Amino acid sequence: MSKNKFIKQISTCLFLLASLFAYSQQKVTGKVTDSTGGIPEVTIQIKGTSTGTTSDFDGNYTITTKKAGDILIFSYLGFKTQEIAVNGQSTINVTLVEDSSQLDEIVVVGYGTRKKSHLTGAIAKVGGAEVAAIQVARVDEALAGKLSGVRIQNQSAEPGADPKVQIRAASSLSGDSGPLIVVDGYPISGNLATVNPNDIESLEVLKDAASAAIYGSRGANGVILVTTKKGKSGQLTFNYNTFTSSSNKYIKDIEMLKTASEWAADLQTDAYDTSFTDPALLQYRLDAYANAPDVVSMEDYIFKTGNTVSHDFSVSGGSENLKAYASLGYLDVEGIGIGQSFERYNGRVNIDANLNDKFKVGLSMNGFYSHQESMPWEMRDLLRAYSISPIYHTAASIAFVQALDQERQRLFDTGTFTGNNFGRTFDQDYRGIGLDPTSIYDLQPGDVAHDWQYGRNQNGIGGTGDAGVASKFDNSRRYNKTYFANMSSYLQYNIVEGLDIKTVFGADLNNRTNYYYRGILSDGRQRSTATDLDIDEIKTSTVLSETTLNYAKVFADKHDVAAVVGVEFQNTYIKGMVSRGSNVPQGLPLNYSFFNTSDVVTQEVDETRSRRSIFGRINYAYDDKYLVSASVRRDGDSRFGANERYAVFPAVSLGWNLHKEDFWEPFSEKVSAFKLRVSTGSLGTESFLGSYDALSILGTAQTAFGTGFLIPQNVANQDLTWQTNIETNFGVDLGFINNRFRLSVDYYTSDVEDMLLEQSVSEVLGTPSIILNRGDVQSSGVELELSAGIIQKADFNWSMNANLSTVKTEITSLGALDELPRQIYGGPSGRGPEFRNYVGGELGEMWGYEVVGEVESIYLADPSRAIGNGTGRAYVVDQNNDGQITYEDDYVKLGSANPDFYWGLSSNMSYKDFDFSMQFQGSQGAEVYNIDPIYWKSEFGRGLTPNFDANSDGIADANGLHYEQTRNAHGAGIQDASYIALRNLTIGYTIKSDITNKIGLNSVRIYGAATNLLYIMGSDYTSFNPEGVETGNSGYAGPTTYGYQEGASPIVRSFTLGLNVNF
Amino acid sequence: MLIFNKEIMRKIKYIYIVLVSTLFITACDNDLDQLPPKGLEATALNDYTPVLNAAYHYHTGVATPQLVMGDFRADNMLMQEPPFTAFDLYNSELAGLDLVEQFFRPYYSNLYKSILSANIVIENSSSSTQVAEAKFLRALSYFKLVVVFGDVTVNLSASPSTSDLSILVRQPAANVYDNVIIPDLQGAIQGLNNSDLSSGRATQIAARAFLGKVYLYRGNFTNAATELSAVINNATGAGVTLESNFSDVVTDGNSEVIFATIRSTSVADLYSATEFPGWFDGSDTKSLLPLDSRLTDAFDASSASGGATDLRKVLTVDTANSKGVKYTGGLEQDFIEMRLTDVILMYAEALNENGSAATTVLPLLDDIRTRAGLNSLTGTATTQAAVRTAIQTERRLELAFEGHRWFDLVRTGTVNTEMGQTIDPNYYIFPIPNSEILASDGVITQNAGY
Repeated sequence: MSKNKFIKQISTCLFLLASLFAYSQQKVTGKVTDSTGGIPEVTIQIKGTSTGTTSDFDGNYTITTKKAGDILIFSYLGFKTQEIAVNGQSTINVTLVEDSSQLDEIVVVGYGTRKKSHLTGAIAKVGGAEVAAIQVARVDEALAGKLSGVRIQNQSAEPGADPKVQIRAASSLSGDSGPLIVVDGYPISGNLATVNPNDIESLEVLKDAASAAIYGSRGANGVILVTTKKGKSGQLTFNYNTFTSSSNKYIKDIEMLKTASEWAADLQTDAYDTSFTDPALLQYRLDAYANAPDVVSMEDYIFKTGNTVSHDFSVSGGSENLKAYASLGYLDVEGIGIGQSFERYNGRVNIDANLNDKFKVGLSMNGFYSHQESMPWEMRDLLRAYSISPIYHTAASIAFVQALDQERQRLFDTGTFTGNNFGRTFDQDYRGIGLDPTSIYDLQPGDVAHDWQYGRNQNGIGGTGDAGVASKFDNSRRYNKTYFANMSSYLQYNIVEGLDIKTVFGADLNNRTNYYYRGILSDGRQRSTATDLDIDEIKTSTVLSETTLNYAKVFADKHDVAAVVGVEFQNTYIKGMVSRGSNVPQGLPLNYSFFNTSDVVTQEVDETRSRRSIFGRINYAYDDKYLVSASVRRDGDSRFGANERYAVFPAVSLGWNLHKEDFWEPFSEKVSAFKLRVSTGSLGTESFLGSYDALSILGTAQTAFGTGFLIPQNVANQDLTWQTNIETNFGVDLGFINNRFRLSVDYYTSDVEDMLLEQSVSEVLGTPSIILNRGDVQSSGVELELSAGIIQKADFNWSMNANLSTVKTEITSLGALDELPRQIYGGPSGRGPEFRNYVGGELGEMWGYEVVGEVESIYLADPSRAIGNGTGRAYVVDQNNDGQITYEDDYVKLGSANPDFYWGLSSNMSYKDFDFSMQFQGSQGAEVYNIDPIYWKSEFGRGLTPNFDANSDGIADANGLHYEQTRNAHGAGIQDASYIALRNLTIGYTIKSDITNKIGLNSVRIYGAATNLLYIMGSDYTSFNPEGVETGNSGYAGPTTYGYQEGASPIVRSFTLGLNVNF
Repeated sequence: MLIFNKEIMRKIKYIYIVLVSTLFITACDNDLDQLPPKGLEATALNDYTPVLNAAYHYHTGVATPQLVMGDFRADNMLMQEPPFTAFDLYNSELAGLDLVEQFFRPYYSNLYKSILSANIVIENSSSSTQVAEAKFLRALSYFKLVVVFGDVTVNLSASPSTSDLSILVRQPAANVYDNVIIPDLQGAIQGLNNSDLSSGRATQIAARAFLGKVYLYRGNFTNAATELSAVINNATGAGVTLESNFSDVVTDGNSEVIFATIRSTSVADLYSATEFPGWFDGSDTKSLLPLDSRLTDAFDASSASGGATDLRKVLTVDTANSKGVKYTGGLEQDFIEMRLTDVILMYAEALNENGSAATTVLPLLDDIRTRAGLNSLTGTATTQAAVRTAIQTERRLELAFEGHRWFDLVRTGTVNTEMGQTIDPNYYIFPIPNSEILASDGVITQNAGY
């Protein structure tokens, strides 16, 4: 009996116990929300178990707990994780709060992603919203001043122009150092122009070798990774952005550019000595300058207000297994100069789908069309025209020129003016062939005004024999059109947990047409040989196939391993036709079929480049504290000589998260993040190499006897190979007060070997230059990034970001040479600075005589002869005091276009529904050789007064200084290119959501913004754009000849009004 | 944990097959040995005719600088706008960048490319005619170089070293004449005949005429006379006869042309700035009224002493508009490098320098004088010096604007007397392009005075 009783008691207890347990298995439901509504896909996990679930579209979830006191962990990226104990509740609703600490932000690295805390390289990140917030036409402009080590320069401020993007130091002597652009894993052929700023989710810049090494041979200039928006599961969301701007050139008026009446007034001041001019002639000229009617100044004619309109529409949505994002954009920019405009259409579709548990597939398509019209004539040449006439004659101006001619004749006939020049009628200077009025007595109002109609400056007040500005403009045109399409698709298969294989296949096509036309009337002499019709049609397409094996797993909660191994094949095809036509038939449609066959030369372009690579990387993090990463890549490229096709590029980097160490505990409140990192790696670059530069290709030409084979431009070189860049980076990342304040300091050194040089050789060899691997350049720099969440209250938020970067480059070896051949690169007739590149010096140093001032205008012997004349001479320093100004002894380094440092500062404030942000950016210490003033002041050695240098010994009598002509490689052209710009100022207001929700819109924000509201230039800079650098003239050889400016399109200031709508 | 299961293994295999095959599809045409499909690689040459054609063609880029140097430097034409006025200044300003880029550098580089093309043909061609033509062009190119620059670099190789700077050292002009120009012309004479005269290709008579000219420039008057008389004697047989009207002497394909560089509207020439007809007729803004009044005076003096108006005056100059009118062919105008009249004048000069009597020498010029509507020179001069002056005057008027004047003055040593000023002999020759000095690291030196 007792045995039975015992068993009964035990079973009752057990039963009770079991029922206790049974009752503790709680089914909990609820909703997870944030400030705007339900959050889908929040992870809800029972702590200490692997049981979990995720919330649905509306944020609802259901989970069954195992026992009483089970803790539910609610976590979602970007929000603070919450833990809630279950003690009998059946409904637990949770509101998640955003986490601004961003420690576990995911950063995209090459071929994968990493947690930010596990990064060991120098990677800078910008969020998509930040990029889209600046209302610019292109992504690279939006980056200006945001990231350390990334220098964006408006070489030409024309609408649609490509800015120069340079990450850290120039890695090439002879090619321009643009970074590799990878959009969603696909390295695009082209630049950031084709990416719509509104499509960007995030943008990462891989700055150091270790991060970029996975891209091997294209990584030496840095890599910009762009991730575009993908769909999110949930309701369909729509987004519409629009803005309109009004722009003007920033500099109102250049003092140097004078109209005739301004000049007449100047001549009568003390600044000019008119005593050496015959009084009657002087009076004749002064009257003519002062009375010329209906004068339109060149600046007023060429520049105007430009308007911009932009529309952007995107859709995003999806379900659990299919996500899609699509966008369409339109931009129309009217430039601030006549003839300038830029129009762009783009569209994108991103689809990501889960075929089943294991298969993921995605498709991405991007299309882009742009049409850019440029000012067809050089701005430098237009601005130097005399402002003495209207653009098209009026009745008054016609009467004036006729009267002036008759006055001249009267003065000549009466013997007041002597010399044959004065006997020439204005009509005798007509140099055309009769396509327009040949005599000033035949002019009608509306005819184009030309200089010769005002007399050449011997017998009248006209200037050059060039065609009038209207003739130049109305008979020339320059534009380019680009069609770009990119398609890439991927297939990803999850083999086992943590191991994925992914294959990407894509293609892109870039079809660009360049058009240039110059008609016969644009030439003052109406010469048929001065006409051109040039059309280039080049299609560049690439095909890429890439397969990677990715493994990522965390072992025992401490060992975080990630590895990737892959192969990549890429072919680039360049096909096209380049046509050059001259002797354009007058009066017929612009069609090559109307030309003489001999006047049209066409050349076909047909090139193929191929490359194949294999790469691998392994990342290991121990306990989130000790970080190691190593990668290696082997590339082969068809462009190199047969002996040197392949190269291997390894990299390794280490990091230490000190703040995770136990001994750091006491400090962790103040210093919440402290990471030390070091990385080193080698990268290659093929720089500027063409497809067949390792070979000798014969040029062909038609000769009188048939086809001729011209001497090749290049000498075959079997050993032509990669440039190798070895870069080391040391970095410290600090975070204070829960990462509210962050500071990053990086120091890097980079050593480029086997540099590809276009070496000047004697033309006895049949070509002016050949390409060689020779030389060594070392660079170093410091980068600082500071971000501060100054005020973080509920309805008032203020944060600031600042960055500063320095770059110093030195040539350490040039093979057997001490110096590269000196080169004068510049404008017409080779006027420009002398560029010197020598061992121990910087890249592209500009040398010349040191100028201490211009020879004063009072020494001009005949200032009334031409408008805006300068003396054309400058005082120079005799460096070695030997009494002579000689090239060998008195040339000194005048400067270089490399700045000492560049920086950016941004401030973002939000108060309730208002937001206010400012972005400053600047550069300090660069110089530029600005040739504009030399042309604007017609400085071609006008005669000086006899008292200036009475004994012609080259020394000015008044002050004992030596002097020289300004036009030959002199310091007179060197100007300070430093600047501080308030790039963007935006004030926005988000309409209260309860109002907007009533009309079915999620949010509406209106904003006003100004671009370049403030732009402070160097004190001695005299043109429109200190950032402008000319790289299109013949003889340009890359960074070794960088720093010459002519007619740079002006800095533009715009005022914008815009609207962002989400619904 | 990996679960090895047949089902999954099959799936894995299938996946790999699909992925790997996509790899191979694209890897197929991924060949790292790429050759240009539409271009010709230098090592693939087997027919050298086009290279020889290029050697001729390069001289189209030389014509304008040569003619401008020959006449604008001297007292026939003037430049009016700086910096081009340096042509008439005889100081270091001639080495200014504008002038180098527009004249001296194209002259220099096109000649060296012609030489390189000729070297390629000489070294590789199996046709002896082609080799002879190439030798002619090489000699002509070196001759043009030494006359303008003095000492020059000599390259006789088809593939000169790109790294060894010592090959660039300038050789004394005398050596270039003796070691390159004269031997090459002799080789050309042997290898050529006169069948291609009308096509513009090199012929035996042309090689002879230039050899005579070269000997004249060298001061070897005996050999000059030999060669030039051979030319005159063979002229008719080769189809070369004097034109009866002066208006035809520089037209394309006229009967007295011995060698010309062909220009035509259907062939793009290698010079990109204003061409020589434009310089002479005042089409370039840098010299709208180029005519030097001293040339007009010379014509007037000739008319005064010749017994009638010199017919050549109105066909050469337009005094009212201060320009030259000799070239009427525009874009088609060939550059006449050697014509029969020039040979006759040179022959007369050579004979005179050798001591022949005035009565032998002066009658040789009768055809030229008659064509100009003037009396014969016979009897107007008796001494060697007077005959010399007479011949030089005749050369100036007859060959005006054909690129001879300055070089004639320099070689006869009459620069100061004719130009009416003392000119430093350093400025008899022209500056080497500065880019050459920089590119050769100073191995190629600049001419003294520049």
